Amino acid sequence: MSGHGGANPLARAGSWVADHAAALGEPVSIGLLCETAVDRLDVSGATLTVDPGSGWPETRYATDALGAGLAELQLTVGEGPCVDAERGGGPVLVTDLDAPGTQLRWPLFTPLAVDAGAHALFAFPLCVGAIRAGVLALHRAQAGSLEPAKLTDALALAGLALRLLLDEQADRRAGSADRADGLPLHDPQVHQATGMISGQLGVGMEEAFARLRARAFAGQRPLAELAADVVARRLRFEPTEDTT
Amino acid sequence: MEVRPIDDDRLLETFVELADTLTDDFDVIDFMHLLVDRCVELLDVDAAGLLLADQNGRLRLIANSDEQVRLLELFQLQSDQGPCLDAFRTGTRVSHPDLAVAGGRWPRFAAAAVDGGFAAVDALPMRLRGEVIGALNLFRTNAGELTDKALRTATALADVATVGLLQERAIRNQEIVTEQLQTALNSRIVIEQAKGLIAERLGIDMGGAFAALRGYARSRNLKLSEVARAVVAGTTGTHDLLGTPALTNRSKM
Repeated sequence: MSGHGGANPLARAGSWVADHAAALGEPVSIGLLCETAVDRLDVSGATLTVDPGSGWPETRYATDALGAGLAELQLTVGEGPCVDAERGGGPVLVTDLDAPGTQLRWPLFTPLAVDAGAHALFAFPLCVGAIRAGVLALHRAQAGSLEPAKLTDALALAGLALRLLLDEQADRRAGSADRADGLPLHDPQVHQATGMISGQLGVGMEEAFARLRARAFAGQRPLAELAADVVARRLRFEPTEDTT
Repeated sequence: MEVRPIDDDRLLETFVELADTLTDDFDVIDFMHLLVDRCVELLDVDAAGLLLADQNGRLRLIANSDEQVRLLELFQLQSDQGPCLDAFRTGTRVSHPDLAVAGGRWPRFAAAAVDGGFAAVDALPMRLRGEVIGALNLFRTNAGELTDKALRTATALADVATVGLLQERAIRNQEIVTEQLQTALNSRIVIEQAKGLIAERLGIDMGGAFAALRGYARSRNLKLSEVARAVVAGTTGTHDLLGTPALTNRSKM
């Protein structure tokens, strides 16, 4: 579009991770995605934490001990860029953890993070509206910005991580299934339908979205089409029904 | 068609508001809603929508005055065709006074627009010198040209909003601009989820749900995204949204 050229960043990030997986003869995974982020983005480490619904994030993968330590530290002190990213639903990009403004914002976290050897931390929430799947955090031993192209790639890798986590959630519910729907997160009707199902079943958005996807897989119908049926009130989800 | 005079006091107030972007709690969604809503209020247009380019140069819908125009903007993005896209790509105004005969130019968009009850469109680029950051779409239900005065006013409003936004982006750094835009894009999704929940609970359509959400936010001077978040979290009950002043805009589905 509009002369901005280049491949779709999400597709490009996907091929990086797929290439990495093929080279190692392993399936695509969260771990490989984090390793790919370190290779491609010029950062010291990458850490992915997931929110299992308890409100207590768990570290799923960390490429180095520092990343694991930063995640643990934020959990312990209850503040930090990842905590804010998760809460606000947008990235929190901290170019200098030692800057006075940063210390004011997270007085408990920053001195300890700097002591541990981190000077920049970029936290990307993995979310779909109110649904929070986790956070991808990239850290650097040196202060400084992610250059714009790397920031775009980081956003794409975060989008990919989100899709991997959402697929896992859907798998737990419906069993491994064809992912040909491509997860049309740009389609507002998918989110409206999620909201409606949340009301129909009296469940949260995450559960409602997982049910919608499970139904789409089970019926082998495109997610967007099913969502349109829900919004048009041609399809209701009933609280009693067994969705497996 | 009778042309309504522009309320000068209100216009002045709007210019002041659009220039005021350097507040600590600046919110892209609310700022752009201010622009589209005032266009509908002050000018002889029936609906307005606003698209901004994201990090990848892809246009994303940020604000819309009602549900019908939202669908139409999304349709433009999906079909990769329409005046808003043309205005963004060329950096110049793109108008059509009679969409019923615009099928040669935008076959799918023109049909969808007429279907949605719109007869004329003016798309203005959000542009400062060489940089185009988005586009403002003004729709009318009656065919014909927008008056010169309305067009000049709309252009001035779009220009001031563009300068305001670019000034805001220039003063903040790249990190903050990215944080804001990404947060706004996610907030749009929360708003859609909240609309679904409201529509279900209150038995109304998406247009009505959006109007209820916005009426509540306005009457209490809250951010639209805050109210949507509170509705999804259950801290604001869907029934609490009723009883706020209804919107006078069109809000049909």
